[in-house]
Amino acid sequence: MEVLERIFNIALIAATLRTTAPILLVSLGGTFTTKAGIFNIGLEGQMLLGAFFAVLGSIWTQSALGGVLIGVTASVVVAGIFSLFVVTLRANEVVVGLALNLLAGGLTITLTKAIFGTRGSIVSGDIVGMPRIELPVIHDLGPLGQMLSGFTPLVYLSFAMVFVVWLILYRTRIGLHIRVTGEKPAAAEALGISTAAMQHIASLFCGVLAGLAGAHLSLGYITMFAENMSSGRGFMAVAVLIFSNGDPVRVLFGCLLFGFADALSLRLQTFGLSSYLVLTVPYLVTLAALFALTYRQRPKLFRETAETLSLIRRRQA
Amino acid sequence: MTFAIEMTGVTKRFGAVVANRNVSFGVRQGEIHALVGENGAGKTTLMNVLFGLVQPDEGTIRINGQTVVMDSPRRAIALGLGMVHQHFKLVPSLTVAENIFLGMEIVRGGLIDRKAQSEKTRQISAEFGLKVDPDRRVSELSVGIEQRVEILKVLARGAKIVILDEPTAVLTPQESRELFRILRRFADAGMTVIFISHHLSEVMEVSDTVTVLRDGAVVGTRPTRELNEDELVRMMVGRNVNFDRRPRKAISGRTVIELKEICARDARGVLALRDVNLTVRSGEIVGIVGVDGNGQTELAEVIAGLRAPSHGEIAVNGITIAESHPRAMREAGLAHVPADRLARGVDASASISANILMGRQYAQPWAGRGLIRWGRVREFARGLIKRFDIRARNEKTLVKTLSGGNMQKVVVAREFSRETPFLLVDQPTRGVDIGAMERIHDEIMLKRDQGAAILLISVQIDEVLALADRILVMFAGRISGEVDPEKTTEDEIGLLMAGGAERPRAAA
Ligand SMILES: Nc1ncnc2c1ncn2[C@@H]1O[C@H](COP(=O)(O)OP(=O)(O)OP(=O)(O)O)[C@@H](O)[C@H]1O
Ligand SMILES: [Mg+2]
Repeated sequence: MEVLERIFNIALIAATLRTTAPILLVSLGGTFTTKAGIFNIGLEGQMLLGAFFAVLGSIWTQSALGGVLIGVTASVVVAGIFSLFVVTLRANEVVVGLALNLLAGGLTITLTKAIFGTRGSIVSGDIVGMPRIELPVIHDLGPLGQMLSGFTPLVYLSFAMVFVVWLILYRTRIGLHIRVTGEKPAAAEALGISTAAMQHIASLFCGVLAGLAGAHLSLGYITMFAENMSSGRGFMAVAVLIFSNGDPVRVLFGCLLFGFADALSLRLQTFGLSSYLVLTVPYLVTLAALFALTYRQRPKLFRETAETLSLIRRRQA
Repeated sequence: MTFAIEMTGVTKRFGAVVANRNVSFGVRQGEIHALVGENGAGKTTLMNVLFGLVQPDEGTIRINGQTVVMDSPRRAIALGLGMVHQHFKLVPSLTVAENIFLGMEIVRGGLIDRKAQSEKTRQISAEFGLKVDPDRRVSELSVGIEQRVEILKVLARGAKIVILDEPTAVLTPQESRELFRILRRFADAGMTVIFISHHLSEVMEVSDTVTVLRDGAVVGTRPTRELNEDELVRMMVGRNVNFDRRPRKAISGRTVIELKEICARDARGVLALRDVNLTVRSGEIVGIVGVDGNGQTELAEVIAGLRAPSHGEIAVNGITIAESHPRAMREAGLAHVPADRLARGVDASASISANILMGRQYAQPWAGRGLIRWGRVREFARGLIKRFDIRARNEKTLVKTLSGGNMQKVVVAREFSRETPFLLVDQPTRGVDIGAMERIHDEIMLKRDQGAAILLISVQIDEVLALADRILVMFAGRISGEVDPEKTTEDEIGLLMAGGAERPRAAA
């Protein structure tokens, strides 16, 4: 019992929200490209570059905000290059995405070495991390209140973005045009909507959110950059997007699940379980759950009952 | 004389195919101008050039006397053009209202005002007499209603020049008449209308001027009143065509397919089929008519194994089909020409031979030891291209580059070349020209005489009257009557289609 209590407590929920934030941000970015009909496998690389440049920016500008802005700019540039190749030059999206992922991995290592002369990671007292926000009223609402308070701004932003992204996609003109571009490009073109423009815009939106996700990784709870720090979250986001078909609300649930499993596995590590095994847990749990979810959503067979049948026949008479 | 549209010397090539050959074409303002010609004559291409969807290799376009370069549909729309495309350009996951207002959304405070759009759609729908439900998703609609949505989409944009590419291919005669009444009203108010149709009686009835295309070139432009239907046919195909009721010998064969107490529900759980019973015997053509949306689509889907019935059973040759699945039905002996060729009939990005193979890919002699014998398939496809007069370069041609009517012929060729005891043909002549229609009718009669059981669903009542041995009328999801095609009249059928004495249910 005691062990369970040590694992499942309020702190775990707080940890879940914290670990959910980056994958949620990057997945929400991916909803735009998914809806615009682009299979964006380059999320991982965009996030990684965002994380790296956020650290650089934070050191240069000596401010967390400056770091975030520079991180986002970097990943938006990558997103722009991605859509330039994929949309304008009609290159294969998987190939370009993979290439950019490899480039991001190599570039961050090389630049780390060139600028800091170190290998593997950038750890420095000069990195200004993001502040934690104590929500004034909510903080005083007892333990639950404290649980919801004290996160970095990007955590709050990530959850707020679920609604914002949903609103953009389903209630605004540009969102509608993005969805139509993905679903039926011929319809869009025939009405004078430029599908190429919509895909560029979707890719840039995606870059912004992937950059924020990266900044959260490197300036959020740990202020450092480590080689391959995104550790597959971008690929997990791709999986979540496939299962959720880019629907922001379903994306939220997929990501929460991943965040929970991630937080849990961090916990389990402290109990001396093999860290390699434990680290695979969040990925496995999320994939299994997503699969179960899609499986349940198969169309169900409806059968008439004796009652409905007699109703059908009576009306006929 | 003011020309709303003047196209001069338009030539369009697709590789080696010349789709339009030095076409000059003028339409006066305020007239209804019919564009006719065989499948593949270049009608759609010419209209796509006019609408900016396709760039011509040569030629100029003048709109209201001004020379313009139609570089995109956006420019065409800005110049007051609107087009209803042969292959619908609707977004399935959006509602009817969202589709109609796509590209000209009503926005309030940065957000789309969906209520206002639905309300406006309802108004427009009432104003033009084309009934649609604004809040239904397009994916749940039948082709006939999709057609109405497409037409409303153009009318709602207030276009001054309207191009309709085969708008009536899936409308019932009544619906077509209603549509043309509306168009006439608009033309009288100064709107210019171009429409493409293979129904020559309709062309004769409603158009002011006819332009005939053959092999990409203009054969002539003539005032309609100086022509009669036979002359028009000869201008198009160079011979006369048989539209009469086909002579036949009575054959009374055994029952091939039997539907017992079939009920089915649509995506929203609404009853679409209510206790349908029917049999088709060997050597018999049973025709099904009805206003679109009264259950024909669902009936076809149930028989094809594409929709599981909510009650009842289907038996083929006395054997009940256990599982509702297309392969199960096909293996039991079904050949199926679906109503929507692009959605269900062909894989547009594959070649003609690959499309001909579909459905046979497991069977001898087309496949063996897990491999497909492409040589045989191609040879077979070449034969079918000849037999069904599919206008294509060769069997490797991609289906998406074919004209609409020729795509239809690919589907018909594939299904009719299977030696099956039972054929389900849903709008078999949708979008095919009169020559091809005659040929498809010949094939249907041939199958009948060879002893196949044929269920023919069509919105073209004259087609059903010419072919069927018995006609069943569907209304509100059930069979509301049976008539003998030798004795009935179109009026009697029309009455039954409207529910006879019953009160009509909302068709949408
Ligand atoms: N994208 C394309 N690529 C290659 N060939 C094409 C393409 N579009 C049309 N064609 C060819 O151009 C010719 C004219 O086609 P078009 O669609 O204009 O015919 P249509 O008169 O509209 O016929 P239908 O009555 O069957 O619709 C056909 O031979 C067709 O195969
Ligand atoms: Mg056409």
